[in-house]
Amino acid sequence: MEKPNTTYPKLLVEKARMYQNRVAMREKYKGIWQEISWNTYLEKVKNFSLGLAELGVQAGDHVSILGENCPEWVFADIAAQSLRGVSVGIYPTNSEEQVKYILDHSRSRFVVVGDQEQTDKVLAVKDSLPMLRNIIVIDMKGLRHYEDPMISSFSAVEERGRTADQENPDRFYKFVDQTEPQDEAFIIYTSGTTGHPKGCVIPHQNHIYNIHAINDIFQFTDNDSVVSYLPLCHILERGVSISIPLVIGYTVNFAESIDTVQQNIQEISPTFFAAVPRILEKLYSTIQIKIEDTTRFKRFMYHFWKPVGERVAQYRMAKEKIPLLWTILYWLGYLWSFRSLREKLGLLNCKMLMSGGAPIAPEILTFYHSLGVYAIEMWALTESCGGGTGPHHEVKAGAVGEPIRSVKLRLADDGEILIHSDSVFAGYYRDPEATREILRDGWLHTGDIGEIDEDGQLHIVDRKKDIIITSGGKNISPSEIENKMKCSPYIKEAIIIGDRMKYLTALIQIEYDNVGNWAQSNKIAYTTYKSLAQNSEVYELVKHEIEMVNETLARVETVKKFKILEKELDQDDEELTATQKVKRKVIAKRFQKEIEEMYA
Amino acid sequence: MAVIEKDPPVQLEVSSLSINFGGIHALNEVSLAVKKGEIYSIIGPNGAGKTTLFNCISGIYHPQEGSIQFEGSEIQLQKPHKIAQMGIARAFQNIELFRGMTVLDNLMAAKGHSMKYGLLRAAVYIGRCLREEIRCRDEVEEIIEFLDLQNLRKSPVASLSYGLQKRVELGRALAMNPKLLLVDEPVSGMNVEETEDMARYMLDVNEEMNITIILVEHEMGVVMDLSDRVTVLNFGTKIAEGSPREIAQDPQVINAYLGETQKLSV
Repeated sequence: MEKPNTTYPKLLVEKARMYQNRVAMREKYKGIWQEISWNTYLEKVKNFSLGLAELGVQAGDHVSILGENCPEWVFADIAAQSLRGVSVGIYPTNSEEQVKYILDHSRSRFVVVGDQEQTDKVLAVKDSLPMLRNIIVIDMKGLRHYEDPMISSFSAVEERGRTADQENPDRFYKFVDQTEPQDEAFIIYTSGTTGHPKGCVIPHQNHIYNIHAINDIFQFTDNDSVVSYLPLCHILERGVSISIPLVIGYTVNFAESIDTVQQNIQEISPTFFAAVPRILEKLYSTIQIKIEDTTRFKRFMYHFWKPVGERVAQYRMAKEKIPLLWTILYWLGYLWSFRSLREKLGLLNCKMLMSGGAPIAPEILTFYHSLGVYAIEMWALTESCGGGTGPHHEVKAGAVGEPIRSVKLRLADDGEILIHSDSVFAGYYRDPEATREILRDGWLHTGDIGEIDEDGQLHIVDRKKDIIITSGGKNISPSEIENKMKCSPYIKEAIIIGDRMKYLTALIQIEYDNVGNWAQSNKIAYTTYKSLAQNSEVYELVKHEIEMVNETLARVETVKKFKILEKELDQDDEELTATQKVKRKVIAKRFQKEIEEMYA
Repeated sequence: MAVIEKDPPVQLEVSSLSINFGGIHALNEVSLAVKKGEIYSIIGPNGAGKTTLFNCISGIYHPQEGSIQFEGSEIQLQKPHKIAQMGIARAFQNIELFRGMTVLDNLMAAKGHSMKYGLLRAAVYIGRCLREEIRCRDEVEEIIEFLDLQNLRKSPVASLSYGLQKRVELGRALAMNPKLLLVDEPVSGMNVEETEDMARYMLDVNEEMNITIILVEHEMGVVMDLSDRVTVLNFGTKIAEGSPREIAQDPQVINAYLGETQKLSV
């Protein structure tokens, strides 16, 4: 496979020429989906880009973007790349300190921020950022009387660009022509379950190369649509909402606000839905709970048709022909139950659902298959430019499929997955030591332990550093057990502990809404999360759930004791990353007392 | 604190207002002048006459003595709906919304006074009626966006939390396109986060929509942070007026409002 000889700005110019007034994006504003055509997309990027040039952005400059998903985020991103600048995404949920770290480490001279909340974060730390020159604000609400000379509005920068464009209409296209496929396109700061986040430098060419290869699995056309709702600074959402549309030309929909995402997904009913396990687990447990609360007839129908869905799911996953009888039964089930469930989930038109970012329990994916949604799990890293594996033919529960065409993959002697450096990132920004450590002898050392089965499908065992070795010498993958536990609607987060110990234990965070619901219907009084967590009946409930999981596990893998955490894990308390992954080290330290009690 | 231009004109002038209820002096010779664009707070112990003053301004009570001038014209004897049309809206302390109706319907209902079409047109729903409805919905959507109510458009008011109902109440007042907003205890009964949000919205309303605000509030933190000027009422009489800092140090105020031992914090 040839590496593509292009860049994202070039792709935008090309797509705008091809699609003209076709819809590139939609954004819900004032309750109505407003359309943005490819021409407008290009126009906006052009103006903002020239505006940035007027402000002094040059090739190699770093432009950070800090805000919720919106079309302007995308415009700013491609605009910076058009000048051969590098864009750096920052999670809008990051704290002042984290924002400061990334702005400082990435040596950003410019930052585009979403709204007042984000502006305040930057203003609070700007004195310790000597490199920073401009703060460009997308939504100026509440900022009218901020008099900091560094602040300018997004539209003002666009306006400057528009004037510059009128004086010299070719200027933007000259800039775009100068962009090179090997250029650095953007830096992604990995949320980092240990230590400070590291900045992965992603070149245009390798990312586009991987996207072409991934499309073997996705089979996107320009008639597809997605809803952008995960953070855009994560490689998964960036791929789905910015990069793949520039390659394929499908439509991206931006939700009205974070609170309306679920409603908006229902309205749009996207044809492709990418999610992290946390969201798929949440949707799954919501359905389990709602079914118990619904009318008897609906509940009966759900339980009646569920086995049919599951049986047909087996055929679908194996890509086998479904026998006629099952097809008929399935369609009856679709009419009575599956259809309305899919509608509620916003998956009515969904052709493919993808889970990535972390391992997911096979039970969850099977559930979506049983509704008739083709659900797959994929594996990739930020460091591998989003290239990794995905099921090309058969979907196997627990496997993440075969390597995509652009990726050369092999296992090291200890089972660590290695990817050939041909298609991976350019290195960690300002951290040659970490780069040397991960890129050795021409191979990217992913830090994940895997196995390849007889069909050539990859199975992820766990992160190399997370694998638990019990005092009996058994190797145990904690995430597999954790994911099984998280299938329970009452368990939100499970952290398995037991490295160099005699037996395994778990710290459990209960799902507040669902357990609260359960408590109400069982007449158990509670006031807060803490009082629920301390309740002895809740303990019994969780114990029962864990015993159920234990039955499916080998003896050494069973969880002997557990504790319910008395506080909810929080990103602000550094217990979770921005993508809601648990930081084991922090948690092990913070809950040391609880852990010691379990081994006392 | 609101950011206002230098020396703005007086928008609402209350002069020597008095009202008695069966011998009780609810208000006694109260005078105050609210300037355009400012946030003006009225504080005082329970029964000091704060809500009575609001009722006088919005035309529910008609005072026995004194005058109230809004942008130069006398409104003392006007009916409440006329006063509302002139541009004085009010957000009530005890949320006055249609509880069974959705947020959107409540906000649209508040637009009723500005929709100009008759019964006949409404029956066929074309022409001016349609145009008016679309114009009003557009304005209502701006308020929804402003107050971040997007996810609640179709939720019945009764199903919302108290803090959100208060926000919708503010939205309902805003939907009347006011020039002057009377806000009665906007943060009473709210938790810290809801209070902060509400204070932020009040500042935004004042700054972005350029609306003058008269605030009655017991929560001193909010009053001190938001207000440009504060008036203190005690048993229907005005005992002090000035900037929050001046008020906090006024011995008479401390005495009347908090007892002698405590001090107001700025």
